[in-house]
Amino acid sequence: MYLPNANTRRTATAVFLAPSLIGVAVFCLLPIAMSFYYSFMDYDLLAGSMDFLGLKNFARILTGREFPQVLLHTLTYLGLYLPLILLCSLGQALLLNRSFRGRAVLRTVFYTPVITSWVAAAVVWTWVLSGHYGLMNQALSLFGIKGPAWLSSRVWAMPGIVITAVWKDTGYYALMVLAALKSIDPALYEAAGIDGAGGARKFFSITLPLLTPTLFLLVVINVIYGLQVFDSVLIMTDGGPGGATTVFLERIYKYAFRQYKMGMASAYSWILFIIILAFTLLQFRLQKRWVNYDA
Amino acid sequence: MKKILAFLLAAALLMAFAAAASAQTTLTYANFSASGAQEETLKKMIAIFEEKNPDIKIDLQLTGYNDYFTGLATRVGGGNPPDVFELNMENFLAYMLRGAVADLSDLGIARGNYSEGTLAAVSSEGRLYAVPMSFSTCVLFYNKALFDQAGLAYPANEWTWADAQAAAEKIRALGEDIWGYFQPVSYHEFYKSVKGNGGSLVSADYTAFTANAPENVAVLQAMLQRVRGEGRVQPNQEDMAGCGDWDMFTEGKLGMIVTGIWGFPTFTEKAAFEWDIVVEPGFKDKATFFFANVNAISPNCAHKEAAAKFIDALGSDPDIVQLRLDASWELPTIADQSRLSQYLDITPPANRAAVFDSMNFASAPPALIEAGAAAEIIGNVLSTLESNEVTAQEALDDIQAQLEAAELLK
Amino acid sequence: MMPKLRAKQLRNAAFYVMVVLMAALTLLPFLFMLSSSFKGSEAIRTIPIRWIPERPTLEGYIRVFNMPGFSFGRASLNSLFLALATTLVQVLSACMAAFVFAKLPFRGSDKLFGLYLATMMIPGTVTMVPNYIILRIMGLLDSYTGLILPALANAFGVFLMRQAMITVPDSYLESAMLDGASLYRVFFVILLPMVAPTFFTLVLLAFMGAWNSYLWPLIVLTSTGKQTLQVVLGNMNSMYRNNEHVLMAGAVLTILPILLVYVLSQCRVDSGIALGGLK
Repeated sequence: MYLPNANTRRTATAVFLAPSLIGVAVFCLLPIAMSFYYSFMDYDLLAGSMDFLGLKNFARILTGREFPQVLLHTLTYLGLYLPLILLCSLGQALLLNRSFRGRAVLRTVFYTPVITSWVAAAVVWTWVLSGHYGLMNQALSLFGIKGPAWLSSRVWAMPGIVITAVWKDTGYYALMVLAALKSIDPALYEAAGIDGAGGARKFFSITLPLLTPTLFLLVVINVIYGLQVFDSVLIMTDGGPGGATTVFLERIYKYAFRQYKMGMASAYSWILFIIILAFTLLQFRLQKRWVNYDA
Repeated sequence: MKKILAFLLAAALLMAFAAAASAQTTLTYANFSASGAQEETLKKMIAIFEEKNPDIKIDLQLTGYNDYFTGLATRVGGGNPPDVFELNMENFLAYMLRGAVADLSDLGIARGNYSEGTLAAVSSEGRLYAVPMSFSTCVLFYNKALFDQAGLAYPANEWTWADAQAAAEKIRALGEDIWGYFQPVSYHEFYKSVKGNGGSLVSADYTAFTANAPENVAVLQAMLQRVRGEGRVQPNQEDMAGCGDWDMFTEGKLGMIVTGIWGFPTFTEKAAFEWDIVVEPGFKDKATFFFANVNAISPNCAHKEAAAKFIDALGSDPDIVQLRLDASWELPTIADQSRLSQYLDITPPANRAAVFDSMNFASAPPALIEAGAAAEIIGNVLSTLESNEVTAQEALDDIQAQLEAAELLK
Repeated sequence: MMPKLRAKQLRNAAFYVMVVLMAALTLLPFLFMLSSSFKGSEAIRTIPIRWIPERPTLEGYIRVFNMPGFSFGRASLNSLFLALATTLVQVLSACMAAFVFAKLPFRGSDKLFGLYLATMMIPGTVTMVPNYIILRIMGLLDSYTGLILPALANAFGVFLMRQAMITVPDSYLESAMLDGASLYRVFFVILLPMVAPTFFTLVLLAFMGAWNSYLWPLIVLTSTGKQTLQVVLGNMNSMYRNNEHVLMAGAVLTILPILLVYVLSQCRVDSGIALGGLK
């Protein structure tokens, strides 16, 4: 934007940027630098002892038994969650895009899981996913399927967490997709209709391509957050059963607060950061292939 | 002029004296065991102490058990620990081994008031590091109705695991959904049970792990036999399918369960049948838990004498102890057992004496600075054993290898 | 004529079926929670599920309000105050910073923005102890200020608002300045209303984040009187483990206020969308 007075521009920039920048510097960058420092140390939280270890923390993590499992579990979560969340939020947004009676109520209904805290959601879903008496298995039995022991099963615990997370997050991302849907020029649909295109054709040739920027945003955000999944795992399974749902943040938390090893926890989070960075850069690289930015 | 000056000086001196006399010490106290049911009791205890010590004020900070230790560790690590804080046995060891609790040996704690066993548990190399406050343990609960139905004699104090197994099999035979015994295959149960066969997870001088010693293998084998295979007497996770262990017992589906005495109120309220307790049987000898909650002082505390008075009162002041007994809030760790007859007289269960007998076989957790890491390694392997075919020997060899590879003994 | 109408009716019917199905799936866990909260000590675990309790009772709710020590009402007020203050600080600072990144770029501002984005990728657990130490040095422990200040560091909000502000043509703002408006007036009176939908989305997000925040208030606030609602609910988890009806009642109560805020904010978003659509 053009401003006539360079001085005004300078002061305004400073004034507007200052609160956020100071906050980021003091409460983000400074702690990050501190944690970087800790990752090279054997820092016992309770004893306060700090011994230099060099790269030993990183070596222990990367060559240990645990790391491949943690990576596998986290990627499993992502692999199950991402397609489901994209499908469900797209579906919900499409439903909400048509005007019909009671739409506002429906929007509220769909958003309710989003505004629930994880503490409350976990309480409810641990119940729902109970082996014999839970809602899920009772519903499945109506179709003659014998549901697994979900959160007590090594194979089904992670899917159980994913289902809860999809239930909880869909409403939020659906709103983002809905906003994008609404900004598609209706004239495009009319023109297509005149050319004889049916509903499905309109969807795949107009809607979907024009949605790709939003879908891209969704994927990027969800990869970043998905790799940091924590609350749900900690509250619902605590990394169990038998270490079947250990994920990065859960490990970091336990190293820091059960074993008091801040150095290990810090090193772990830096390794996670590299992974997240790599995924994000990869996605930005690939976006030219499938994301359509033309209006 | 001189008179006025003298008067002013006198007044100033008087005010200084008054200020000093009314100088109050405020102590922050973090606690978790009172959170919930016993908050009022703890507040009354503090009121009693403040009345007897008008120059000390206590600022109580209660947190629920789940997050208490995370919060405490953050505060200690962040340099802002509470003056006085409560710890359970495991965390006490963790904190003590790291120097996060003050040495209380010379602060005038009335040691004679406390039972010897509990004092030993909070001391190290002759120095005292905390003052015990309450004590709890696990015992064997049994369903009298099911025992009658199976025509069995009730569990006796002399029982070993072999006796329990025999009874469990007969009770299991009573029905498809009736089970005989419940004792989780977990780190806690394991470190305690191996003591019952003269074994241990780590050598006496803490220089080597002994997880896969033959006596430990025998113990694990017995635990696995209970919960595996067609003839199992203990329900595994799938059998329980979301029903908690306590619920199975109170619903009359479980003959015997090893669990904590804090279950008394729930079982009294929910069980529709007669039940009683007995000291839990050991593999050969008895070994029981010793869940003590103790109070420690931060090394940073500026008023250690006042703090020492406070925790000494919490542990052994007669009026405070009486409040605890009246509220049925765990057991005080005092030496004078005669005061505890009030506890013994409440039923159910009838055999409350078993709780005290259990104290005689108390086994402490391994005093490793890396106990947390060890517990996790062991717990992870043990918790998978219910549902796979790994033998006890293989599992313990695995645990031994992992413990050694993690270099937990420095 | 006839086949076309039939097809349209079918499509409508299919649509409504989908709607009902999705709504049911979303609501069922809540209904389950609601029904359990009225169940009292009767068996919560039954096959098949009893949706209407046999003996409905308010016992769960009564026990929630009579919880010894933790005043549910007081905790709610605390949460409300904190959430409002945090939202204000967070949204305002994010909008202001986004304005600079979107409309007043300077040399190196891209790199700075990249830095902001990068901070989103750092897991929060490990910065918890350093942040705690920083608060201690600033003397802000056990205070609401200590909880609110870190909200200034909100990269996501800046990211979101910047995306929205970029789409506003510079010419609008420049011509307003030519007409004599100060930059500050341009920001508050012209720019912000034009990005209203995103703005209110951020407001809702910030409020929710603050309302549902758990671990951080738990650690920073030590006085019981200052505790927030989520912490109280978390404490209830360990206190009432075998009394699920009390837990469910507590969970229901924590959701209601925020549901209200959501409904209110949605009215704003709707009118905002209408305003913003004035292209």
